Amino acid sequence: MAVNVLIVDDSAVMRAMIQKTMKLSGLQLGEIHQAANGREGLETLERQWIDLVIADINMPVMTGEEMIEHMQANPNLKTIATIVISTEGSQTRIDRLQGKGVRFIHKPFSPEMVRDTVKEVLGSEVFHERSH
Amino acid sequence: MNAVTSSILSDVVVDTLEKLAFLFAAPLEGPAPEETRELATVRVRFSGPICGGMQLSLSRPVLAELAGNMLGADDASALSPDEQHDALRELVNVICGNLLPLIGGNNAEFHIQTPFIPAGDASGAGEFGPTNAASNLSVESGICLVALQLDGPVPAEGARS
Repeated sequence: MAVNVLIVDDSAVMRAMIQKTMKLSGLQLGEIHQAANGREGLETLERQWIDLVIADINMPVMTGEEMIEHMQANPNLKTIATIVISTEGSQTRIDRLQGKGVRFIHKPFSPEMVRDTVKEVLGSEVFHERSH
Repeated sequence: MNAVTSSILSDVVVDTLEKLAFLFAAPLEGPAPEETRELATVRVRFSGPICGGMQLSLSRPVLAELAGNMLGADDASALSPDEQHDALRELVNVICGNLLPLIGGNNAEFHIQTPFIPAGDASGAGEFGPTNAASNLSVESGICLVALQLDGPVPAEGARS
């Protein structure tokens, strides 16, 4: 199974870093879509089949937390696996996100942290044999 | 200038540069060499239990290296100014995000605004105003100057001491 990924971050450099990490992780990648804020992310989710959302929190127009709240309120989107990659340091906010079923990775991150978290969320079967 | 907060700031900057871009930094001893003085500057504002701002200035050759390492580019000098400035904005965003819980407490919720390049890309911290903490580092073949401005006092329970 190829995994379609949506990366939502207002930094193009960070989106490129995450995309490169995903390609190196051994994940069976399908399409990779990008959005610069939560609003663009929701628009992409309405148009495309996405298996995994990777989102920042602090973004202009619509934050990642607001985007996740909209996803949770939409029956078509609420089951999509979501990982937040952010500088967020507030344990209160992290707990709130995790309470919504979202996994959290702190920036700066290592490629191994991303790979392991994606494995926990989607399972090992979506990775190529060599990465097990 | 708060020595404890400055020390925390330095630790966060060194750690972030290493983990985000594989750049190694150390405290700057004495004045910066003349050839390192051409700087690119970025600022960010934040609000929450503590409000304030941060300014980061980085030698331009190091900025190209920063962006190249973050993007895994073979030729860092071929990256556009936009890509380099985006890398600089992300750097200060990560530093600010990692610093605030250390001075404001783990449960404090902050809002970090989108970092911006000041008009004219002003170099140095001269126009930033009075600072509460600062970190001056040598990084690879250049320097990194970070200044923190707080609108109020650091909560007593927040700052690591």
